Amino acid sequence: MAQYVKKDDDRDEEEYSPFLGIEKGAVLQEARVFNDPQLDSRRCSQVITKLLYLLNQGETFTKVEATEVFFSVTKLFQAKDIGLRRMVYLIIKELSPSSDEVIIVTSSLMKDMNSKTDVYRANAIRVLCRITDGTLLTQIERYLKQAIVDKNPVVASAALVSGIHLLQTNPEIVKRWSNEVQEAVQSRAALVQFHALALLHQIRQNDRLAVSKLVTSLTRGTVRSPLAQCLLIRYTSQVIRESSMNNQSGERPFYDYLEGCLRHKAEMVIFEAARAITELNGVTSRELTPAITVLQLFLSSSKPVLRFAAVRTLNKVAMTHPMAVTNCNIDMESLISDQNRSIATLAITTLLKTGNESGVDRLMKQITNFMSDIADEFKIVVVDAIRSLCLKFPLKYRSLMNFLSNILREEGGFEYKKAIVDSIVILIRDIPDAKESGLLHLCEFIEDCEFTYLSTQILHFLGLEGPKTSDPSKYIRYIYNRVILENATVRASAVSTLAKFGAMVDSLKPRIFVLLRRCLYDNDDEVRDRATLYLNTLGGDGSVVETDKDVKDFLFGSLDIPLANLETSLKNYEPTEEPFDISSVPKEVKSQPLAEKKSAGKKPTALGAPPPAPTSTVDAYERLLSSIPEFSTFGPLFKSSAPVELTEAETEYAVNVVKHIFDKHVVFQYNCTNTIPEQLLENVVVVVDASEAEEFAEVATKPLKSLPYDTPGQTFVAFEKPEGVPAVGRFSNVLKFLVKEVDPSTGEAEEDGVEDEYQLEDSEIVAADYMLKVGVSNFRNAWESLGPDFERVDEYGLGPRESLSEAVNAVINLLGMQPCEGTEVVAANSRSHTCLLSGVYIGNVKVLVRLSFGVDSSKEVAMKLAVRSEDESVSDAIHEVVAN
Amino acid sequence: MLLAVLIANSEGNILVERFNGVPGEERLHWRSFLVKLGADNLRGVKNEELLVACHKSVYIVYTVLGGVSIYLVGKDEYDELALSEAIFVVTSAIKDVCGKPPTERLFLDKYGRICLCLDEIVWKGLLENTDKDRIKRLIRLKPPTEF
Repeated sequence: MAQYVKKDDDRDEEEYSPFLGIEKGAVLQEARVFNDPQLDSRRCSQVITKLLYLLNQGETFTKVEATEVFFSVTKLFQAKDIGLRRMVYLIIKELSPSSDEVIIVTSSLMKDMNSKTDVYRANAIRVLCRITDGTLLTQIERYLKQAIVDKNPVVASAALVSGIHLLQTNPEIVKRWSNEVQEAVQSRAALVQFHALALLHQIRQNDRLAVSKLVTSLTRGTVRSPLAQCLLIRYTSQVIRESSMNNQSGERPFYDYLEGCLRHKAEMVIFEAARAITELNGVTSRELTPAITVLQLFLSSSKPVLRFAAVRTLNKVAMTHPMAVTNCNIDMESLISDQNRSIATLAITTLLKTGNESGVDRLMKQITNFMSDIADEFKIVVVDAIRSLCLKFPLKYRSLMNFLSNILREEGGFEYKKAIVDSIVILIRDIPDAKESGLLHLCEFIEDCEFTYLSTQILHFLGLEGPKTSDPSKYIRYIYNRVILENATVRASAVSTLAKFGAMVDSLKPRIFVLLRRCLYDNDDEVRDRATLYLNTLGGDGSVVETDKDVKDFLFGSLDIPLANLETSLKNYEPTEEPFDISSVPKEVKSQPLAEKKSAGKKPTALGAPPPAPTSTVDAYERLLSSIPEFSTFGPLFKSSAPVELTEAETEYAVNVVKHIFDKHVVFQYNCTNTIPEQLLENVVVVVDASEAEEFAEVATKPLKSLPYDTPGQTFVAFEKPEGVPAVGRFSNVLKFLVKEVDPSTGEAEEDGVEDEYQLEDSEIVAADYMLKVGVSNFRNAWESLGPDFERVDEYGLGPRESLSEAVNAVINLLGMQPCEGTEVVAANSRSHTCLLSGVYIGNVKVLVRLSFGVDSSKEVAMKLAVRSEDESVSDAIHEVVAN
Repeated sequence: MLLAVLIANSEGNILVERFNGVPGEERLHWRSFLVKLGADNLRGVKNEELLVACHKSVYIVYTVLGGVSIYLVGKDEYDELALSEAIFVVTSAIKDVCGKPPTERLFLDKYGRICLCLDEIVWKGLLENTDKDRIKRLIRLKPPTEF
């Protein structure tokens, strides 16, 4: 061990590592010293250190190597040296022997577990729990229970922390220890209390009452360590969350405790309490104030961790209560220049949420200086925040758009550039005034854009929006430059964009033809093909032109066919005399993307996709339904509901239903999934019994031919109903099908099948199905403009209700309308409330509703309902819904 | 869960790496992420001055101690404040073992002891002991004094 030779010169010493040139094979050789009859403890410790070093570097041992080392290590239990024994405990844990090897050490460890030396006990417990399995655990359970209440805190902690780990693998055993753990919670040793509290909560987490009792007793008693106090605060807020539903009168339970914790001496406790208060459901500004005050103090702390924690919490508060945070704005502004970029970014995004319109320019100036020296991932966060700010203050679009275009010109990776481009596109869509300048910024960007994807997306967007501007010709130069300068993919996109300008702007047509003709000599075949195609469709080659509408449909319309289906059909197409017929491509959506799209809650991608998510879902439904001949005559689709589950989770067949409402018809779309790999379902239908829905008559059924494992499919049932009547009813559903066995190894189904059926939950058509949730930005203006002509006002008693907010939500759900201006939130403890709703009723009639609620001491709720609409009968219909 | 304790030298070479509940394939990613984080931010930072970062719902608290940099990664209940508590225990235990903020060499000389300390402080992702005097006794298998 030459490395250990002491060097006189300090600098020399720095150069040598005791592990210089360490090599696994050599260390494993060295490990043979463990087998020496005369053990050299010092030497053994050094070898274990080397083994640890190897393991900590991410080195792994093969099964044979690990077994060999493990067996040698077990011999060291004979050594009397205490330091060595401690190392042995550690290395056994690190080697984590397999279950068949463990037996070698269990007796030694069991002996240590009953040793008189406390720390032997603690370590033996930890090692045993690390390597043990269920059977061994039952043998040592008795000792572990004793250890939990051991008077030595080290032993108790070891047993408790082991318990926390074992709860994952052997919950039924650990749950039997709750009496001992309960006793340990009262321990005078701070850490024992902390560990015991954590374990006890985990044992009882599913028993609300027990957790509530635990919290009640501990919030009154003494909690010794700040760590335990933090846990208690977390459990308390959990109890508050769960109890607030049932307790709406008087003070919020435990708030005083949380507020008291704001004055605790440990910073982590103060923070935990502040955070818990800010996250309370429906927190009032009075409740928030003390928490915000302490957080504000921490903003100017000298410790980065505290500043970070404070600004992170305030950032969250700003999302829901921006006004509450404005007091901290000055402190937050000084954090923009914080050394720590995470803190600076959080400060900026918070300020962007809380700032007022007049401060925007100043803020942007500060951000500009800051942007140059942060990493891309932070920049993306800032860009997103700026986009939201711009949508909030549309009048400020000029400076915000300028900012975005400036950062677009600077260096940056793909994700960052994409975030900026997406933001500009969204601003162009939502703020009409910003359109022309935004498009020009994008044009300038593609002049020098290194990302093919972004260039093609922008070109596509330009093709849609450019022709509608006041002077479309100014974009042509930028687009044609792409044809000259870029790669084939971008050139092809540019050709398509040019064609769109040609189709939309007649005055530009001749010039576009000239440009397109030049593209006929491009060296890429796709570019040439596109140019030829567009010249042909637009009539640029002198041929007879299709009608203007056909051309526009062709250029701007979608294919109306799922791309996956088209791809499969094209792959299956064999080149013959007969040309490929696009109408032969099935239009059915195979993998049922609609419901998933909704549930994923993905942000709509800015480019290419149609703007808001909900309409796009409806569009997709409409396209799907109109592609089915039986339903094509039903007229325009009024509304499609969200999917309603008709089966419990994790059953053999998962079915949900989407209700499509037409003027005279209702279509149930049953989305079915077969979750059994050994089955193939065929001729799947839902048999609907409409005896409890008198006004509905079944007119058509569209069965699903085949439903293989894990590939969702749809079947439909259509009903006729009287026109203009908001008919309601209940429908019982039975799934019927032919089931065929599938051999899982080959995936082939048997020839013969068996008829079978499966009971589903009932579905319902309710009044809310005839209402579209459409909000208005200014309710007062909308109310005034509708006028009092068809206003209907009446009063209703809603009887005793759980709470005012429950009553408000019930009425909102009953009517299925969109709450406006945040009036769906009822302030805690308030005795009256006004809620504003807006919607569009079937027949495209605009409806506004003003609800005034009052509650008396016996929780009787009274409601005044005022309806204004464009049609008298609709106003009456709304009252009827409530009256029934 | 305390997802990782990582100690590196000033060049970013790993000295100690202990992961808990982090899948094997993600460890390399974490290692390079943390080392880069340190290289970007730790230059000129004073001993034991804590730096903080977050990545989605995961928090990172890190610092410099002599010739080594120390990183703690946590999620859920181990947020930035709990991590700063834990890193304080780690730094004070290392200082205690080494007698001063260690050079890399000194750290490696005391490697075995330091591993024992870490074993007492973090056990499979949970904070177990927080008092440096107690830890000092425990790694010598001596009972704590204060009870």
